[in-house]
Amino acid sequence: MAITSIKNLKEFSTNNDRFEGAHTLCPGCAHSMIVRELMNCTDDNLVISSNTGCLEVSTAVYPFTSWDTSWIHIGFENAATAVSGAEAMHKARKKKGTLKDNDAPVKFVAFGGDGSTYDIGFQWLSGAVERGHDFTYICLDNENYANTGGQRSSATPIGATTTTAQAGSHSYGKKEKKKDMVAIMAAHGAPYVAQLAPNKWKAMAKGFQKALETEGPCFINTVSPCCTEWKFDPKDTIGITDLATDSLMFPIYEIIDGHELNILYRPKNIIGVEEYMGAQGRYKHLFKPENRHIIDKVQQDVNEYWDYLQRREEARI
Amino acid sequence: MAEKYDLQEREVWDGNFAASQALRQAQVDVVAAYPITPSTPIVENYGSYVANGYIDGEFVMVESEHAAMSGCVGASAAGGRVSTATSSQGFALMTEVLYQASGMRLPIVLNVVNRALASPLNVRGDHADMYLGRDSGWIQLDAFNAQEAYDLALCAFRIGEHHDVRLPVMVHQDGFITSHTAQNVYPLSDEVAYNFVGDFKPVDDMLDFSRPVTYGAQTEEDWHFEHKARQHKALMDSRPIIDEIFADFEKVSGRKYNRVESYDMEDAEVAIVALGTTVETARVAAKELRAEEGIKAGVVAIRCFRPFPFDMVRDSLENVKSVAVLDRSSPGGAMGAFFNEVSAALYTTPNRPLVTNFIYGLGGRDFSISEAKRIFKEQKAHADAGHITTDIQQFSGLRGPHLGFFQTKRG
Amino acid sequence: MQDLNLLANDNRGQTDLGNSSSLVGWDEVTQGTILQSFEGDATGIAQKKAEERSYSTFSSYTATVASWRVKKPVFNIDVCIDCQNCWVWCPDSSILSRDKQMLGIDYDHCKGCEVCVEVCPTNPKSLLMFSEYTPLDEALSQWPEKKKKEEK
Repeated sequence: MAITSIKNLKEFSTNNDRFEGAHTLCPGCAHSMIVRELMNCTDDNLVISSNTGCLEVSTAVYPFTSWDTSWIHIGFENAATAVSGAEAMHKARKKKGTLKDNDAPVKFVAFGGDGSTYDIGFQWLSGAVERGHDFTYICLDNENYANTGGQRSSATPIGATTTTAQAGSHSYGKKEKKKDMVAIMAAHGAPYVAQLAPNKWKAMAKGFQKALETEGPCFINTVSPCCTEWKFDPKDTIGITDLATDSLMFPIYEIIDGHELNILYRPKNIIGVEEYMGAQGRYKHLFKPENRHIIDKVQQDVNEYWDYLQRREEARI
Repeated sequence: MAEKYDLQEREVWDGNFAASQALRQAQVDVVAAYPITPSTPIVENYGSYVANGYIDGEFVMVESEHAAMSGCVGASAAGGRVSTATSSQGFALMTEVLYQASGMRLPIVLNVVNRALASPLNVRGDHADMYLGRDSGWIQLDAFNAQEAYDLALCAFRIGEHHDVRLPVMVHQDGFITSHTAQNVYPLSDEVAYNFVGDFKPVDDMLDFSRPVTYGAQTEEDWHFEHKARQHKALMDSRPIIDEIFADFEKVSGRKYNRVESYDMEDAEVAIVALGTTVETARVAAKELRAEEGIKAGVVAIRCFRPFPFDMVRDSLENVKSVAVLDRSSPGGAMGAFFNEVSAALYTTPNRPLVTNFIYGLGGRDFSISEAKRIFKEQKAHADAGHITTDIQQFSGLRGPHLGFFQTKRG
Repeated sequence: MQDLNLLANDNRGQTDLGNSSSLVGWDEVTQGTILQSFEGDATGIAQKKAEERSYSTFSSYTATVASWRVKKPVFNIDVCIDCQNCWVWCPDSSILSRDKQMLGIDYDHCKGCEVCVEVCPTNPKSLLMFSEYTPLDEALSQWPEKKKKEEK
């Protein structure tokens, strides 16, 4: 049984953990929730690569590793390429019959933060996806360079304060909108692209399984709330994620073969972005009268994007 | 099974073709590559061998040299034979990953077709890229012609993949002069070549799921130093193994390589120390000078630039009176790096020969036999005077007023 | 009351991270900084439960981060409905569930983030935070009563 059944959480919980504790991620970090879920939703052998970032520096600190699978880290930008090299080697060795077990099923996975995915590793990811390697790339999107202390990335939303796009007496924080990475990856023609969130564990597990099962390059953007840099209490990680998905700041959807868009979660009660922003220190300054227009702008953008997603879902184009 | 490739006993190949034939005969599993002049034909040819069934391998044409070496690292950690090629700017772009490959002890073979580094942009041969790799923890072998580019590429797989070495290896050849000049090459048969290289025997194989491994762990001040020291020790310890493999290669090919090559050095009074195609130029000059003027000239060439053969350099030069060390790389505000390394070796000899430094041939500037003779004669003048009579660092073949730096301090 | 070593392998949580006693010389560090996760043949390791695995000393399973905690979650099995919310969202692989049942907490790897308490849906909660120094029996004796709806 390669892909394990996930009819319900009780059933899912019978899967054995493949990602070990005593890594050094912050308490309450969503990264490890996402990584655990990916690794636990399959029994297949995994070859995993990670870009430099919080996940990497916290899970392989010599002389300890938290990985129960083959794992490699090279640099900040090249996890997609490292795993595509390993995937090419798997093909070559399978052809020659030089693998230890020629029939053992294996899945190739790369993890990167938003800094390495949206910024420094963008070209490497684009290249690996264009070449069509059979792998799944998962972006742990916490919307900033958390590992270096909270600098802006091109995934940082407008209005958030970061150390390099600071809110101050003359600034409301980051001035630019977040890059639409999901659309960019769908435009590569990747067979499976999705945006998922750990609070919606079932949609996330199913999306992960779909990506692992799909032949070819798959891309998944996961929202990974960062208590340290978003400034909220670690215990609230899932609560904040609920606000993210219910305010539609992070809509949950998939795009199959670049065109078939399916919305995977429709909040029963859509909440305002104000509620989501109000729960985090990084948006605190937006609640000053002179900055409130940014909240309004974000709300308008969110509404428009939700409308766009629904129309695309309906149109199937 | 790979298709049979027809080979003659003597082929007319340029250095690029010769290197690519070594990749074919070694049946490299994965080549991840990005094109750059003048090394492009090496990987193009590999791609063509895959396309025509001469290799059962995977050719991954990536989007940059950084990705080329990253793909090679991932592939090598996945337990198979890996090679690629690059030059110059491409080499510079992959530098970050060169350090990663050696730190992870991955036996990748990189064919470097030496070319100048911009700015200003230049596609011709000098050793700027080779020097950029000198602290990267790779073994660096230097071929002076197409035959050697072929021979050393085969040796490189054997050396790097040896379980007591497990280090990546660069095989250098000079851009255009070697890479694009057709010369006679005597290849081994496919069978002899493959048997010499042998099957790839994986170590810490990411695709061996009975033994999951973590590559690329973080080490801070409490661990990093020990790891780098162990890596340096591995490089130093590769020296006798390289000698052993060169001896094995002589058995199958009749061609003998040494980490330091000496030509006409038995009774030499003056010497040129050089790398690359310049070695052959200097050898002709030395022979002619001996015949024409009776100057006892010899040439010392470094076959293995890393690990640097400190003791062998010393042994081959300690009885010479004056030595010119030729650096084909812009020194950037210092004496040439090669000069510094040879001088350091000679400083530990009782006789301490005079050593001067020539910067030459940048951006593919031709280095002629007559210029080599002039340099020999200058060494003879130093030898006769008992001290360096010129600037210690000079430029050879440069237009414009004399450019030189530093003189000997004399009591 | 939970055994502190519930489902622990012999070597779970034996070493403090950064413990200088593990430091070895250059001749003993692993080649290429490579770390092996398990001892012996680890084929099909995903099918094995943690307590059945032969972790190598390089696996962080053998390390502990217990010292990070100021407060610890305490589990009350009498209230738990085995929904497994805590299992799926624990960032530190520290919820010990077997055969669809929540059994307790891996105190070697729990950092005390309190996510499990927050996502616990029972009334009263089956997991609550207590000072690291409160003994488990004392914590359980202080368990609150079911809250009435209006108090919520």
